[in-house]
Amino acid sequence: MITKGTRALVFATAASSLLLGAVPAFAQQSITVWFSKGFYKSEDESLLAAIKKFEDKTKIKVELSQYAIQDMIPKTVAALDSGTPPDVAYADTYDVQASGKWAYEGKLEDITDILQPMMDKFAPNTVETAFLMNGQTKKKGYYGFPLKQQSMHVEIWSDMLQQAGFKLDDIPKDWKGYWSFWCDKVQPAYRKATGSRAYGVGQPMGVESTDSLQSFYTFIDAYNVKLVDDDGKLTVDDPKVKEGLVGALRDYTDTYIKGCTPPSSTTWKDPDNNVAFHNRSIIMTHNFTISIAAKWFEDSQNQTLTPEQRAAGKKAYEETIVTASFPNKPDGTPIKYRSDVKTGMIFAQSKNKAGAREFVKFLLEEENLQPYVEGALGRWFPVTKAGQASPFWQADKHRKAVYTQFMGGTTPFDFTKNYKFTILNNENVWAKAMNRVVSEKVPVEKAVDELIARIKEIAG
Amino acid sequence: MLAPYLLVFLAFVVYPITYGLWLARHPASYVALYNDPVFARAVVNTLIFLIVGINVKMLIALFLSGFFVQSRTWIRWLSVLFILPWAVPSIPTILSVRFMFNPEWGVINNLIFKFTAEDGPNWLNDPAIGLTLAILVHIWKSLPFWTLILMTGRLAISNDMFEAADVDGASWWQKFRFITWPSMQTLYLTCTLLSMIWTLGDFNSVYLLTGGGPADLTHVLSTLGIRYLRLDQLDLAMASIVCAMPLVLPLVYFMMKRLSR
Repeated sequence: MITKGTRALVFATAASSLLLGAVPAFAQQSITVWFSKGFYKSEDESLLAAIKKFEDKTKIKVELSQYAIQDMIPKTVAALDSGTPPDVAYADTYDVQASGKWAYEGKLEDITDILQPMMDKFAPNTVETAFLMNGQTKKKGYYGFPLKQQSMHVEIWSDMLQQAGFKLDDIPKDWKGYWSFWCDKVQPAYRKATGSRAYGVGQPMGVESTDSLQSFYTFIDAYNVKLVDDDGKLTVDDPKVKEGLVGALRDYTDTYIKGCTPPSSTTWKDPDNNVAFHNRSIIMTHNFTISIAAKWFEDSQNQTLTPEQRAAGKKAYEETIVTASFPNKPDGTPIKYRSDVKTGMIFAQSKNKAGAREFVKFLLEEENLQPYVEGALGRWFPVTKAGQASPFWQADKHRKAVYTQFMGGTTPFDFTKNYKFTILNNENVWAKAMNRVVSEKVPVEKAVDELIARIKEIAG
Repeated sequence: MLAPYLLVFLAFVVYPITYGLWLARHPASYVALYNDPVFARAVVNTLIFLIVGINVKMLIALFLSGFFVQSRTWIRWLSVLFILPWAVPSIPTILSVRFMFNPEWGVINNLIFKFTAEDGPNWLNDPAIGLTLAILVHIWKSLPFWTLILMTGRLAISNDMFEAADVDGASWWQKFRFITWPSMQTLYLTCTLLSMIWTLGDFNSVYLLTGGGPADLTHVLSTLGIRYLRLDQLDLAMASIVCAMPLVLPLVYFMMKRLSR
């Protein structure tokens, strides 16, 4: 005879079993995504919009965390060590300072199968950046997905130049004359005219910034220095390399020694030359995106600002800020700029690789990638042919300048040929050499000897 | 009933320390540290920070405790103001100091430019000045706390002894030498030991003021870990922390020994 109690117990057990069996149906799949924070609101909003679209389409929940650029690598290192990395991650600094090393150590997921079908849509000199060596398998593969790229530009306050009594046409095209113009002519004239303490140049020299190494590379290129050959082998024993490095480092640090860049530029992080420019404490700076100009465009569109602030943004973007190029090299020929292709990654330890792959595939579709890249208002240049052909890049003088520069052809950084250069970049041996000269008063030749020794020690 | 305490102790003390030691177990990490000039510099900086920072701070605290122990109304009001640097959180106070010394728009260089039309020095770009300022910030920030502790020690000394010394015509120095110091030396030494342990772990003063810069020349052991983490060298980060153990463990041992008396 079955008692009431027994009946209730059986019923409860059956109900529980049904409920437990149904749990997977209710559980929503999710992925963890880390992205470095954008420089301005619209950049982050474009990412959030892409994520929202992905969630609506796939019903996969995206747990997004955004961190400051300089925090991304330490946080990722800690997450990798504890075995809990995000499923997908992107940082502006990964490609320059970490990807090659992590791929070599077998920490990244091979996503060749994702990229292979879409190879023909990428522009030349883009997706190759993600083709990295895995030291565990001794094979190369695609260990990252290219999202966007950047290159070197010069930003100038034309109105400050005018206050100093000069016009844009007065800017020399030759290497020595160019730097002397900003330092010896514009800065004193501007100070005399305004009584303010502005500086002619914003020369990034911070050890914790990528701006400093990217800018220094432009100086290296001006002196025709090749640190590695096409196979990634070091060429630093060539006396011409040392000679070129001495020239580049001397020119780079002279600006500081002559008092033509803000003293704090030795400790600048990536946003700091932008901030100095926005504050009008520098008249020109070189920067590896047009984020400086784009910030003013964003101000002109930002409805939370006052009409006066929006008008100031519009005026700065359309009239007073000029996006320009570097002068010719000391040998008189034009510089061929480096391009830096920004890549995201899926980790080998990712918990939800299937979901992560879905997300990456989705993000790389043209209709998602293009709005994301263009949401950065020109700060980043597309890696796809369709993206580069978009009317967006012909809409104004700043974007046209970026477009023209990229169409002129670019060259990749050394870390694409020798992954150990990511370690050198992370340590920022370039900025350290600058600081040896300007902070510790070490002769340029000695600082270059130390730099070469360190390059050989790490990447030899 | 001990189980919950043991669990908490295991989870929050034993596990992190053991895991840290496990991460720092590779002898190669210590060889790499030994060969890294930044580490050698950080060790020297740490010793300077400890020797100068603690002694200057404790001596000033001892002196000031004698001043603030006086029962005058204006001194009491002054002591309230004096406590402020310690009471206010580290980040805004140390960043304020950093901003003051900013070479372009800091208040100090602005004043220099105003009166001389010359740019002031790049204060924090000189490693000696950077470390000195970090030590000064550390002293300024923790001085009120130690002054307060030593004040309590002074207040515990019986007034009868000072009155008797006055009757005997003792000078202020004799009163300090024969009454105050013997009564306070145990407290002073205990405070110094405790301060050494805390100072060794002071991350904020250096990191927020100089960030270890310029070019990694002002790092101390407590900030070196984050530098190695940024360089994707977790094993070195942990090894650099373990390297502070020979300094910390004897201090903790003596500290516990004193407190158990």
